[in-house]
Amino acid sequence: MSDSEPEAMAEADGVPSTKLPPHLELRRTRVLCKVDAPDNTDTIQYSGAYASLGHENSLRFADFCKDFRVDITRISDDDMELDMVGVDPSIANAFRRILLAELPTMAIEKVLIANNTSVVQDEVLAHRLGLIPIKVDPRLFDYLSENDTPNEKNTIVFKLHVRCEERGQRLTVKSNELMWLPKGSEFLKTSESLTSTSKPETYTSFTCSQDSMPEFAGNPIRVYPDIIISKLGFGQEIELEAHAVKGVGKTHAKWSPVATCWYRMLPEVELMEEIEGEKADVLKQKCPAKVFEIEDLADGRKRATVARPRACTLCRECIRDGEDWEKRISLRRVKNHFIFTIESTGALPPEVLFTEAVKILEDKCERVISDLS
Amino acid sequence: MEHTSFGDQRNATFSFAEEDHTLANALRFSLNQDPQVIFCGYSIPHPTKAQVNVRVQTTDKEARVILKDACQGLMQMCQHIRGTFDKVVNDFRTKNPSGNHPSQDMDSD
Amino acid sequence: MANRESYTYPSNSGFGNDAMQGVSSAGVTVSYICGECASKVALSKNDPIRCSSCGHRVLYKERTKRMVQFEAR
Repeated sequence: MSDSEPEAMAEADGVPSTKLPPHLELRRTRVLCKVDAPDNTDTIQYSGAYASLGHENSLRFADFCKDFRVDITRISDDDMELDMVGVDPSIANAFRRILLAELPTMAIEKVLIANNTSVVQDEVLAHRLGLIPIKVDPRLFDYLSENDTPNEKNTIVFKLHVRCEERGQRLTVKSNELMWLPKGSEFLKTSESLTSTSKPETYTSFTCSQDSMPEFAGNPIRVYPDIIISKLGFGQEIELEAHAVKGVGKTHAKWSPVATCWYRMLPEVELMEEIEGEKADVLKQKCPAKVFEIEDLADGRKRATVARPRACTLCRECIRDGEDWEKRISLRRVKNHFIFTIESTGALPPEVLFTEAVKILEDKCERVISDLS
Repeated sequence: MEHTSFGDQRNATFSFAEEDHTLANALRFSLNQDPQVIFCGYSIPHPTKAQVNVRVQTTDKEARVILKDACQGLMQMCQHIRGTFDKVVNDFRTKNPSGNHPSQDMDSD
Repeated sequence: MANRESYTYPSNSGFGNDAMQGVSSAGVTVSYICGECASKVALSKNDPIRCSSCGHRVLYKERTKRMVQFEAR
């Protein structure tokens, strides 16, 4: 063990630890799914929980490193599934909560409507615009605090000006009609105090154009393209400006970087006795998730096998039909194996979201440490 | 952050502003892993107030030292998770190079 | 675009606001927009609610020319 590790964990190294008896080990590591309810759902975190048995329950960092594992089942541009093995639910849940509520993105917050003769009311239209994901790295921007003036470091301005010109037609306005204004707002502020000599003031004060920044040169800021904003009848018009700022999901869900993010514990299905012949067919039929398969034995007999335990939804259909079925099949969940799914809204790719979430938890710890020092 | 203990430095309550279950539950886990912790738990006094209280009682060290260690342990864990994850993502990409990922270059520190 | 912020009363006829045509011999008329052909329709108190050019019976009120700001929440 290295010196950088906390003393507490190093001290635990000296304690000789015996293995837990198998029935306790099962209850420590598995949720048991009985026909009426899942049993044994809690995790035993306390280091001295098995002290009387001479078993040390604390997790040493070296052991954690040895056992911790990540497997990726799939990554695409906007979603991924990974298996995280060897962490406590409290950690997995922290990541999930951070992904949903504490990772910043950019979202439209202020909508300046110059004209809207569509049937969608102004406030509804503004709300719809707010929910459109903006494909931009939020790390390039600052938060706009209350007394700040909107500038090129904290605000993205989009313009929307559409009008249905064709008689008898319906024009569908989609989100890709939102045009990025790298130079900031184009609407002029008019006030009585404005003198004719001063430069006309707009709703933002950009010192430079955003497209002159290296990050956006040749890479204009876009929104998720094919979301229907409104439909216009003949002669109807929408003219507005939308100002996007940085925020987090706990303020409003429009800032959440994920469509959703969830985990489930790995299901484990075990046959406690051989299930053969007709019973095997019955079992295969019972399962809506098609977990079981039938195996042909050499002497012509048929036997049920667990072919796809991962597909098990724990519907408990297979153990519902009487006590003997309950005895035959054991349904469990592995307490420290999480099948994590992240569905990004498109602002950042899912794997970046995960690393950023871990960083946020690290930052939180760091803040506590600096407060305590 | 506020820190309250009466006389005995081994028993203390720490109050974090602007934090919730996300940090408190993870910290409770980390603290519970420490054999020097007799008791630890957290509470959120009121659901509309962004505040959590973490209670720590230890065998003989100061509670704040133990809490600091727990934070460090948690941070180390996170770093290991992040390292492992990044490595696995890279391995996955080299094995499955299907589709260019335009935003991949954003994954830099 | 310059006068979007300053609100002018509808009765304050002329000057960038023609929702109300003021008092003429026929009395007060208000202009609406036809839901079908988008033409302007000026109606006074007892007129049938009907577009003069296409006969459509859905008319919309004219919107303020003032800029309105909303929070996207």
